[in-house]
Amino acid sequence: MIHTNVTRLRTLFLAPAALLMLATLAIPVVIVAAYSFLSRGAYGGVEAPWTDQNYVRLLDPLYGGIFLRSAWISLLASVGCLILGFPLALFIARSGQRKNLYLALVILPFWTSFLIRLYAWMFLLRDTGLINTILQSFGLIHAPLPMLYNQGAVILGLVYGYLPFAVLPLYATLERQDPALLDAAADLGASPLRALFHVTIPLSAPGIWAASILVFVPCIGTYIVSDLLGGSKTVLIGNLVQNQFTASRDWPFGAAASMILLAAAIAVIVLMRRSRQELL
Amino acid sequence: MNRRRFLARIVKTAAIPAASAILANCNSGPRLNVYNWSDYVAPDTVANFEREAGLRVRYGTYESNQEMLAQVLSGNSGWDVVFPSADFVGPLRDLGLLAPIRHEWLPNLGALDAAFRHPPWDPDLRWSIPYMYGATGILYQRNLMPQPRAWADLWDPRLGGKITMLEDATEVFGACLKKLGYSLNSAEPGELRAAAAEAERQKPLLRAYLNAEVRDQVVAGDVAVAQAWAVTAAQAIAAAPDRLAFAYPDEGFARFADNIAILRESHRAEAAHRWIDYLLRPPVAASIVQTTRTATCNGAAYGLLPASLRDDPVLYPAPDVLNRGEWFAPQSTASQRLRDRLWTEMKSS
Amino acid sequence: MKRALPIYAVCAYLFLHLPLAILAIFSVNASRFTLWEGFSLRWYRALLADRDLLESAANSLVIAVAATALATIMGTLAAYALWKKTSAWLAGSLYLSLVTPEIVAGISLLAFFQWIFRYLHLRLGMHTVILAHISFSLAYVVLVIMARLRNFDVSLEEAALDLGATEFGAFYRVTLPYLAPAIAAAAMLAFTVSIDDYVITSLVAGVDSRTLPMVIYAMARRGVNPVLNAVSTLVVAGLGTLILISERLRKA
Repeated sequence: MIHTNVTRLRTLFLAPAALLMLATLAIPVVIVAAYSFLSRGAYGGVEAPWTDQNYVRLLDPLYGGIFLRSAWISLLASVGCLILGFPLALFIARSGQRKNLYLALVILPFWTSFLIRLYAWMFLLRDTGLINTILQSFGLIHAPLPMLYNQGAVILGLVYGYLPFAVLPLYATLERQDPALLDAAADLGASPLRALFHVTIPLSAPGIWAASILVFVPCIGTYIVSDLLGGSKTVLIGNLVQNQFTASRDWPFGAAASMILLAAAIAVIVLMRRSRQELL
Repeated sequence: MNRRRFLARIVKTAAIPAASAILANCNSGPRLNVYNWSDYVAPDTVANFEREAGLRVRYGTYESNQEMLAQVLSGNSGWDVVFPSADFVGPLRDLGLLAPIRHEWLPNLGALDAAFRHPPWDPDLRWSIPYMYGATGILYQRNLMPQPRAWADLWDPRLGGKITMLEDATEVFGACLKKLGYSLNSAEPGELRAAAAEAERQKPLLRAYLNAEVRDQVVAGDVAVAQAWAVTAAQAIAAAPDRLAFAYPDEGFARFADNIAILRESHRAEAAHRWIDYLLRPPVAASIVQTTRTATCNGAAYGLLPASLRDDPVLYPAPDVLNRGEWFAPQSTASQRLRDRLWTEMKSS
Repeated sequence: MKRALPIYAVCAYLFLHLPLAILAIFSVNASRFTLWEGFSLRWYRALLADRDLLESAANSLVIAVAATALATIMGTLAAYALWKKTSAWLAGSLYLSLVTPEIVAGISLLAFFQWIFRYLHLRLGMHTVILAHISFSLAYVVLVIMARLRNFDVSLEEAALDLGATEFGAFYRVTLPYLAPAIAAAAMLAFTVSIDDYVITSLVAGVDSRTLPMVIYAMARRGVNPVLNAVSTLVVAGLGTLILISERLRKA
């Protein structure tokens, strides 16, 4: 192989992307890290002196509560996606010729606007929305059910938004499984249900881990779902950060919260990679 | 496949020059960038101005002073004219973000109501021109029994889940301070903390924190009681006259005035002044009020309004009602920081 | 269980698709409330009369096309270079950009732009949005291209080199045609991600670069709006058609 040419061409090919990543990722993150150690300006912005007060303030159980709430909601959303997504992935993997069609039907809503899909749920869940109107016209309820602007609505929105993220890796793992194993289980006297729980699911572990991360990490940093469906009453980390850069005008505090959020996201990925093989 | 790829590549490489051409086109011609509150002009106001002045106006809207400030603070936002509330004029001026207003370029300045010629936040009108004023009160569904009359009624557990407050620290804490009998503009840490505690007590009863966005939800019946600006309330009542009503709370309420200001970063001072003068023109101001249902600072325009609007108790309450109101004053830095911090803590709880 | 699974699948598909179908149905409802009052196209007419909306849609398209073009080109080249020899730094930073929560990416870009604009006398606008969009699309493009490269037989390139082609010629005539379907898929992915982005765009957009998601979000915050139903239906239909066309082309 002609090494020198390879290296020069390679550097040339690499340069634009590397420059872009430097400018739009590396430097900005360093700036935010710097901001997190500064003090807030009177009306926003940052100014000297350097301080660690922003991080100290984050130790307050008030904010710890926000982090825990975000993690809890993300966990519930991941579990929800797994429970709803696994049977669907199973169905697609076993559907024979129409696999691609069924898969496409799952992916299609995911490819359309995330925001619009959230708005669809606002339309359905409102007090005067479709679900309440139908229930009331059938006389099943007398006053509208408050289905919007609470944590439940946020979790529903997250599950709806990220379900395709879960179905894809689950499908990938299930599709690769050897059907002969299920035959063997049947030969040994296991019912289909037993085979599911003792053969299929344990074998799908890598897919389950991948699906969990693919849902958990975006959920923990979510901002628009809690803002639109939680009614700006449900404050998650994403809302806290956004708030500091607009209404509360405390950029350094927002920067500190961002760094913690970033660290958490990285930590989850690293932990998962250590315990499993290459996921992505 | 080769042909398709070739075509795709042509399209892609052509896209960038085409895009730049479109971009260049969009930015051509004299223009003015106006950043205003939502629903604060009539549907044809901007179009008429464009035709008359031969300018293209980019008209953006915001829902809160903070949203506007966040963009303007950089000193490089691209906006020419903004509409800050009275208590934001001082801070914007102190930050060096405003350009002085030249009265000689505003022939219609005399149309301003006498009450607004020397407002406390800008006595010489050097930096701002009053535009619309109003107050914050309670917008509610008429079929509620008993009808809300005071801020304390928004803490009623029976209304749980159907109450909204404004997404604004000054407004929410203002209502709490008034409920506790303190001044709106209190800088006393003890009083502010008590107010924050009240807000925290109320939070589980709330549906959401919403500004003007609450209007459609009240009209639709999703919200029973809302802390709302008089202008939002007037628009909502106009949409559903027999179902909704507005009350000026007994304990007292906040009064605000929105002003027109020119940003120092703007290079279009002349066009900006033409816009301000246009808005000061009595027929224009009157037509704006007819659609937006605001209380105008323009005395001459007030005279042009139909009686139904002039006597509207929501927009123009009786003097004894108005006396219960208190203007927002700018806060000291220390007080501002404490309020911001209490707001974050209250929202995070 | 054999019968339970298909029934469940039907329910799951309904869950996924019904909300959007309902939006479409109510976009042609004559009434602004949730009561059906007859078929009407008035909301679509209101949509077409809204200058702000149309301008933001045009902005979204321009940004998406520009960002997709540049991200696909840069990403393909970078993926090829990484495939030849990995660079821990670049791979790590691409990975990081995938993992970073959108709000963090958004505010860090905002902080960067505001800091750099003190020296460059620029302001937030189309260019900052396009730059931001390229930044987060790049990782997706690289992922897709690398996945395809893993199945590429490098001996094909070596054969080309043996036959006298230059390094670039081998890439251009052998590898690139092989990558074509992946490039199309990556472009599709980058386009969709760009046209749908709200959080990052809203933070770095300027006066003249309001995008469709920003307008949709502002409308959604105000509550249910039939015009928004019409917008949603058009966007879903448009993107859906685009996806179907690209799928057909891929199989061709």
